[in-house]
Amino acid sequence: MTVRVVIGTILIAATMAIVAFVMVNEPARMSSFESGFTGRSVEAGAALFDTNCAICHGVAGQGIENVAPALNAADLFDGSRLKSFGWSGTVKDYVRAAIAGGRPRASAAFAGYPNRMPTWSQQYGGPLRPDQIEYLVDFVMNWQTAALAQAPPPPVVDAVGTDLNTALPAGDAARGDLLFHGKGPGGQFPCSACHSLQAGQTLVGPSLAGIATSAAARKPDYPAEKYLHESVVLPNAYVVETFNPGLMPQTFGAQMTRQDMADIIAFLLTQK
Amino acid sequence: MALFKLHLPILDDIKSKGLKPAMLAKVDDAVVRITAGLNIGDIRSVLRGDTAPRPNPRVKPHADGFWLHMKPTYYHNLVTPLYPEFRLGWLSLYFMVFETLTGVFLMVFYTPSPLVAYENMLNIMSNVPLGLFMRDLHKLGAEWMVLVVALHALRTFLTGNYKKPRQFTWFSGVILLILTIFLSFSGYLLPWDQLSVWAVTIGVSMAEATPTPWPLNLLGEKYLGDPSFIGTAINNIMRGGPQFNASGLLRWYLLHVIGLPLIAFIFIGVHYYKVIIHGHSLPPEAEKVGEDSAKRVPLDQRTYFMPDILTRELFYVALITFFAVFMVTAGGYHAPLEPHADPLVTPLHTTAPWYFLWLQGMLKLGDKVIWGVVAPGVIVGTLIVLPYVEVGPSRRYADRRVGLSAAALVVVALSMLTFMGTPWYAVSSSADQEVVAALVPQTHPGPLRTTPYDELQVGAYDAADWQSAPTPGLKNLLRQYEIELNAAEARDAMFLDGHGRMTIEQWQGNLKKITFDVTWTKPDGKPGEFTQTVYLGADSNYGD
Ligand code: HEC
Ligand code: HEC
Ligand code: HEM
Repeated sequence: MTVRVVIGTILIAATMAIVAFVMVNEPARMSSFESGFTGRSVEAGAALFDTNCAICHGVAGQGIENVAPALNAADLFDGSRLKSFGWSGTVKDYVRAAIAGGRPRASAAFAGYPNRMPTWSQQYGGPLRPDQIEYLVDFVMNWQTAALAQAPPPPVVDAVGTDLNTALPAGDAARGDLLFHGKGPGGQFPCSACHSLQAGQTLVGPSLAGIATSAAARKPDYPAEKYLHESVVLPNAYVVETFNPGLMPQTFGAQMTRQDMADIIAFLLTQK
Repeated sequence: MALFKLHLPILDDIKSKGLKPAMLAKVDDAVVRITAGLNIGDIRSVLRGDTAPRPNPRVKPHADGFWLHMKPTYYHNLVTPLYPEFRLGWLSLYFMVFETLTGVFLMVFYTPSPLVAYENMLNIMSNVPLGLFMRDLHKLGAEWMVLVVALHALRTFLTGNYKKPRQFTWFSGVILLILTIFLSFSGYLLPWDQLSVWAVTIGVSMAEATPTPWPLNLLGEKYLGDPSFIGTAINNIMRGGPQFNASGLLRWYLLHVIGLPLIAFIFIGVHYYKVIIHGHSLPPEAEKVGEDSAKRVPLDQRTYFMPDILTRELFYVALITFFAVFMVTAGGYHAPLEPHADPLVTPLHTTAPWYFLWLQGMLKLGDKVIWGVVAPGVIVGTLIVLPYVEVGPSRRYADRRVGLSAAALVVVALSMLTFMGTPWYAVSSSADQEVVAALVPQTHPGPLRTTPYDELQVGAYDAADWQSAPTPGLKNLLRQYEIELNAAEARDAMFLDGHGRMTIEQWQGNLKKITFDVTWTKPDGKPGEFTQTVYLGADSNYGD
């Protein structure tokens, strides 16, 4: 009997030890199961896409002209299509809604397509089960990484560059105000994150209160406009005392159009 | 005036005896209440293996407590070792409890609706700590329980325990066997994956074949327009409609978690009560023929429940629990979860659970009504009436040559039928499909999906050319492809000169598309072609 009691106790202890070991490994196991399942869902989605969607959206989701838009395109994932649609949810929700409900009426962006996007979910009268819709969503969302990586930010047409002799058009101070505060139509710059417009308040860079006056005095033969122009496109040409060179981004020249530059200068010149 | 008087006797004890002795006495008191009669000293003497004092305090829990009220206080020395019972009845009972506990855990995370049931399973496996562990234990426990209960029935048959006076014990046992099998089977549908829906579909379509006897068929024809309305009704009840639907799932769920367990618990009570009423039978050779001495245990032949039987029973429970836990962890047993149920896609090799394979084998013999309805009915009927018909008085093996041979024959027949139930026997799908199915089976991951993703290099390959494949994984896979093709040529006269190609394309950043293309020549010289496409993700994790 003693043998039974001893072995039995050892077995119970061993069982508990295994359970404890399993418990400790649960978080890692659960997350690997999760990613594993998403992988399988994408596989199932790929097969469904091939039979149901490829005829309109192309075998690789690249879209077919005048039939259906590309689904592996950056603008779907970077939020611009969502915005034009007035969609407030995530990209995934948008894709799910588009697939499940279809587009019985053409959306503004794709009004020229003669075909309509059919309804797919059984919940709205389509042929596919809700879980199949999920597989398709996972498959479409699986293009995201590649689509976003492929698309570099579009180059700015008519960039102002770093040449101070470039002729600038007439500036619009009101638009410059918006651009400066990151809200401009057709261009936004994070100037106000570093520059306060209140006297004496230093964020990352110096306050620009009164810059219209002080700019004229910075460099002997530079008028205020020219100095401001140089400060933005070549910030290190003149570094304000007590600040370190290189703090202000050096790339605005490539990001701004000549019009943007002129507008910002016009706005800064109002800061007397 | 005090509204009530608070009197704590413990305070008086502490005053008179001192703190420590008073507290010890209190604890001892509590132990006696919990064990219904044993104090700490008694328990220690039990554990030390001391001979019982007289009067024996170890019988009190049987007399006063609930849990042991049916347990005998002593057994005959001859039934304490492994033979003749093998503790199979006890283990059947333990599995019932084990399944209840693990099952309640799963119930917490499960909703019986086709819309979310499958998602719930994924959630249990990916999001619930110990969820996968509990699910595997529940599934493994269910299979072992069927096995243990069946073996218990077999042993009570072999040692002749169904004979007088234990006919009713046997009858209640047959009911329990049926309940156990249906408990296991009713759990099958719940995950709502391909396996579950199709396995249950096979079962239900068998029940649907229940004939409508004359003259009911004529009445059915006349008033319902359906001469086989009994089968139709059974089908509608079991599936919730012509097709499996939400009502059908709900019914199977309720059967699984309430209906069957409730009946099973009642019958276990009846069964065990009968066992105790008649006493545990001695080994057949230990008794005179026709005599039943189980209830008269001489004083010098007694083994007391405490500690001997108790430690034996607990020992087997510890052992089997350890085994189960070991199997679902280090042993690598995992309850399968196939793709979501799809009534439109019939999987290539659906099989019933192993304990129904014999039935599936019988169905391959011919008529659905005879082999699927009548034959199982006859088998159950025979089991039930057995003790009332086979009334030979002797339980000795030597006197029961006919009965024991018949039992051996039944076991052999069941094994053969079980083999016939597997897809290896009389499969009807075509050779080309079988070749591809061997590489990418629908019921488990299989060779392609377990090949490392990176070794599946993009390109087009020929099975015959497997030796020149660029990676070991591909080589292995293509070799298997070629072996399957050769086997198909050898097996199927319609499949001549088979060629296999495999194309791997990069489909998305972490997704490959693999196309199998089998071509062959038919006996009349015409070409045949079969193509199947599979997608494989880098993170799909089929490896384990
Ligand atoms: C009959 C051709 C057709 C088929 C088939 C089709 N689509 Fe579309 N799909 C379209 C059209 C046209 C649009 C654009 C609709 C609009 O916005 O007016 C579209 C839009 C979409 C959008 C939203 C794109 C966006 O940026 O707004 C998604 C996502 C989508 N389809 C996925 C699918 C999936 C997944 C399938 C397969 C289940 C599928 N489509 C099948 C024609 C089709
Ligand atoms: C990351 C923070 C940062 C951002 C964003 C930034 N700046 Fe600056 N800026 C600085 C710093 C630091 C200095 C002072 C060092 C120097 O002169 O380079 C400075 C200097 C200046 C000056 C010269 C001030 C003086 O008193 O001479 C001007 C003008 C200026 N920035 C305008 C802008 C404009 C317009 C933008 C938006 C297009 C902008 N800055 C964006 C950090 C920033
Ligand atoms: C859930 C299922 C079952 C449980 C929990 C159960 C439990 C038990 C227990 C605890 C015993 C006493 C110990 C032993 O003999 O091992 C017993 C005895 C017995 N069982 Fe079962 N049993 C079950 C199913 C069955 C089945 C399927 C049969 C036969 C068809 C059966 C027939 C018998 C008989 C005849 C005895 C008496 C044995 C004897 O006196 O030695 N039981 N059962």
